[in-house]
Amino acid sequence: MNKNSNTYIVVYSVVMVVIVAVLLSVTALSLQQRQNNNRLNEKKQSILSSLSASDRNFDEYIDAYAVDASGQRVQVADIFALTEDLKGAFEAGTYPVFEASDGRVVVPVTGNGLWGPIWGYVALESDMSTIAGVVFDHSGETPGLGAEIATAKHQAQYVGKTIFEGDEFTSVRLRKGGAVDAAHEVDAISGGTKTSDGVTAMLRNSLQNYIPFFAGKRAAAEHEECTCPADGEDNAESNE
Amino acid sequence: MGNNEKEPMFSAKNMKYLTGPFSANNPVIVQILGICSALAVTVQLKPAIVMALSVAVVTGFANLVMSLLRKGVPSRIRIIVQLVVIAALVILVDQVLKAFVYDVSKQLSVYVGLIITNCIVMGRVEAFGLGNKPWPSFLDGLGNGLGYGLILVIVAFFRELFGSGSLLGLHIIPESWYAADGGFYSNNGLMLFPPMALIIVGCIIWVHRSWKKDLQEK
Repeated sequence: MNKNSNTYIVVYSVVMVVIVAVLLSVTALSLQQRQNNNRLNEKKQSILSSLSASDRNFDEYIDAYAVDASGQRVQVADIFALTEDLKGAFEAGTYPVFEASDGRVVVPVTGNGLWGPIWGYVALESDMSTIAGVVFDHSGETPGLGAEIATAKHQAQYVGKTIFEGDEFTSVRLRKGGAVDAAHEVDAISGGTKTSDGVTAMLRNSLQNYIPFFAGKRAAAEHEECTCPADGEDNAESNE
Repeated sequence: MGNNEKEPMFSAKNMKYLTGPFSANNPVIVQILGICSALAVTVQLKPAIVMALSVAVVTGFANLVMSLLRKGVPSRIRIIVQLVVIAALVILVDQVLKAFVYDVSKQLSVYVGLIITNCIVMGRVEAFGLGNKPWPSFLDGLGNGLGYGLILVIVAFFRELFGSGSLLGLHIIPESWYAADGGFYSNNGLMLFPPMALIIVGCIIWVHRSWKKDLQEK
């Protein structure tokens, strides 16, 4: 048989491509469930670790729901699908919230670093202003410089900072050369100025979406002294 | 495999295919191939090791598959056939990493996909896999992948140690040495940038050639 005839080449390539396609689809489909679980687990772990509660059971401890631009609760089918495309969700006016049963609240944040997207979770104490913890991650910041935002050392700085001054939204800023305002600033990363600016912008832009929600939470807390934990548990069950 | 009846599987000749690329015929420091990815993934040791293993798996199996196909491949489209085989293998590796070692696959991110463009893989298939029996081809591919990985690991060792003060994420340089805590030491920021990898590769080539005199150009 002539291996360089057109018929042979066409048949050969068609057969090869079909075999490869079948092989790859079978692999992708059979591993898909496991890969999705990995992604979901990573999100849940990030949320829990922003609350410094990595050993808690996510489904029991956290009530996940979404709010609209006025801070009212809205129905969404799958809260984690929203966090897959957080920028899109923010633009569409749905804002995911993860509320712990002890009244603390975690909100996702997203933005751009120097080389690519950065994202994370900010946990707030039940006063809706004091930061209980943050977790940041990135896809391609420079290791040792911008990538320092993902280290525990950097993230520890945010604990205890406040994002409100009275009723005015201040967010938290990363200042080059070291924090000056002890309540609303942390040290920027030396050599990672662009990434630091990205984190500042990410915190401001993402957190300001939740201002009405935070205000509503605080007003509710002033009215009824802590019926929230019981409330949170009910919601967790109905959410499953 | 049938072709091993005449000669044992791990004969001296076959072992030479495997170990040759470690030093005398190293793809990175002798053939100067695969430099680009050696710059990209060597900031830390762990991704470098995973990258090394992934490349070794891909070169080994790409060589094996192409060697099995070598009698049927039409020579006019052999490059395309090689690309399809290599790309399919790389996607398999990527999927498996994502499913079983998710945190590592996150660190490697786009670099896994870039194995496809690693010149070593296609170079070995063209130069060896298409003209040799499956078993020697597999050994040759594996050897070249590991030879590449060896350099990657050496470069990553120096870059992580001096750039971040750690190895495999564990701190090696004591905290009290650092200038921030009143010591005298600070990490070398240049180590974190790709040009430093090139300089380290250059140093390895220098040391290697002064040891293997026959590699020196007259």
